[in-house]
Amino acid sequence: MMEKLLEILEDIQPDADFENCETLIDDGILDSFAILSIVSELQDEFGITITPSEVIPENFNSAKALWAMVQRLQ
Amino acid sequence: MMSLISMEFLLLVLVAAAGYYLIPKKFQWVWLLVFSYIYYVTGGVKVTCFLVFTTVTTWMAGVLLEKVAQAEQDRFVCRRKKRQVLVTALLLNFGMLAVLKYSNFAIRTVNMVFGSSQGELDLLLPLGISFYTFQSMGYILDLYWERTKAEHNLFRFALFVSFFPQILQGPIGRFERLGTQLFASHSFDGRRIELSLLRILWGYFKKMVIADNAVIFVDAIFEDPTLYSGLAIAGALAYSIQLYCDFSGGMDVVIGIAGLFGIEMDENFKRPYFAVSITDFWHRWHITLGTWMKDYVFYPVSLSGWMRHFSKFAKKVFGKQTGRVLPICLANIIVFLVVGIWHGAAWKFIFYGMYNGLIIAFSGLMAPRYRKWKQALHISDNSKGFHLFQILRTFLLVNISWFFDRAYDVESAFRMMKYAVTRFDLSQILTIQIGEASGTTYTFIFLMVILLGCLAVFIVSLLMEQGRDLEGFYVKQHWILKCMLFAGLILLLPALGQPAGEAGGFIYAQF
Repeated sequence: MMEKLLEILEDIQPDADFENCETLIDDGILDSFAILSIVSELQDEFGITITPSEVIPENFNSAKALWAMVQRLQ
Repeated sequence: MMSLISMEFLLLVLVAAAGYYLIPKKFQWVWLLVFSYIYYVTGGVKVTCFLVFTTVTTWMAGVLLEKVAQAEQDRFVCRRKKRQVLVTALLLNFGMLAVLKYSNFAIRTVNMVFGSSQGELDLLLPLGISFYTFQSMGYILDLYWERTKAEHNLFRFALFVSFFPQILQGPIGRFERLGTQLFASHSFDGRRIELSLLRILWGYFKKMVIADNAVIFVDAIFEDPTLYSGLAIAGALAYSIQLYCDFSGGMDVVIGIAGLFGIEMDENFKRPYFAVSITDFWHRWHITLGTWMKDYVFYPVSLSGWMRHFSKFAKKVFGKQTGRVLPICLANIIVFLVVGIWHGAAWKFIFYGMYNGLIIAFSGLMAPRYRKWKQALHISDNSKGFHLFQILRTFLLVNISWFFDRAYDVESAFRMMKYAVTRFDLSQILTIQIGEASGTTYTFIFLMVILLGCLAVFIVSLLMEQGRDLEGFYVKQHWILKCMLFAGLILLLPALGQPAGEAGGFIYAQF
């Protein structure tokens, strides 16, 4: 399933290194448009609801953190 | 209320800062609260009532939100009760802001549409109300989403809402960062105070020497755009200089003063005219308003239930990629509508907001295509030429937006834009009269002062943009050089700057 997540991420932002980067937000690699595109796809793909309180840097800084959030909300 | 550029204000800061380090540390926050209220009360007792109203209602709502969250076991009941408290607090405070700030705009609009002649209301507009209302409502929303803990002490909370350096024009602080610093005790740190004083002087330099001299040209051109039709471009450029130096200079003063008390405020500017896109510009200009809008309007609207339905619908109709971005574009346009209205009660500000929102929405929709075009044309984002092109393009787009911001109304903004492309006569600038003393030589000297001032700001900004550590460089200098820098700035202010009484206050203090 982690592969599916990476696929979604690479579709939204093809030029980012999602496998290794752990500062996607801190280094401004993902802007707010990209963040919300990711949220929209994750909600549809995994049937979860992401609330504004989940949209914090800790949840979006790496693919690993995103995956942890998805699992938590499932 | 006393201006940030006045002897009374400097005296207040001096007494507040000196006393802050002399009294026992546990009373430091009380000291700041007392001085914050002394400062605000000089603006009038009536306006202070509004500040107290926001403070008390927000504090009560905060405590209540926390109590509900702790006491209620049922998740749905808890959410419903929390929502009731939140909506009440938002309605009371934004409602008050709306009535005070927008009633006359509504009356004017109704009069215009229906041809009626309803008289305008004589309303008070407490200074800084937009700033402290947004700061307080951010706190309530953070509590609602359980991102922060409630402050139980009313007086401590009152300090968070009223901290005197920032109350008039921001930066809009967050409780998590600003609150904890305000209530903490701080020891005297000579180096920090020296750097803060330097920052205050630099802010006054930008405001008094550049902005308040540029405003003479801006006012002349924008108040009679037909007489100075050859100067539409110069007018927009002068306004971009004035607005940046006025607001960012004010922020330097505010952040410097907070630094005297050991409080590190959030930065509001990051060299905005080096931005490579309008989105990037809003990440660098009035940053705390931008992040406020992002966290409390953009994300909540985008993640709301009805937006999710719209997203599903859009994906079906327009395909996956466009359907995904379209709802975000819509949320973004809503945000900029709010930003426009925030700037003032007039249609030109709504135009200004929509202009920014539509450009960002358009680039969001076009982003995948831009990526393809760049690949096809072998353009690298890292190439210097492309970077410069992006900066100049953004600067041009920003300058177009200033026409809406500064022009008397939408109609004159469009007229000036027409003049900008059809007429150009820079020599007209020397015919602008400066105060009582007329003459082209005098005007020329004024222009030179502004341009040299801008050059200084540009060099400093460029070095910072390149990542140079200017503070570190300053600290290493010999003390004689440091004294010369301080003395130079102090002497330049009265010699080249406009006296406070002549040029008026800060632009953003009207919001």
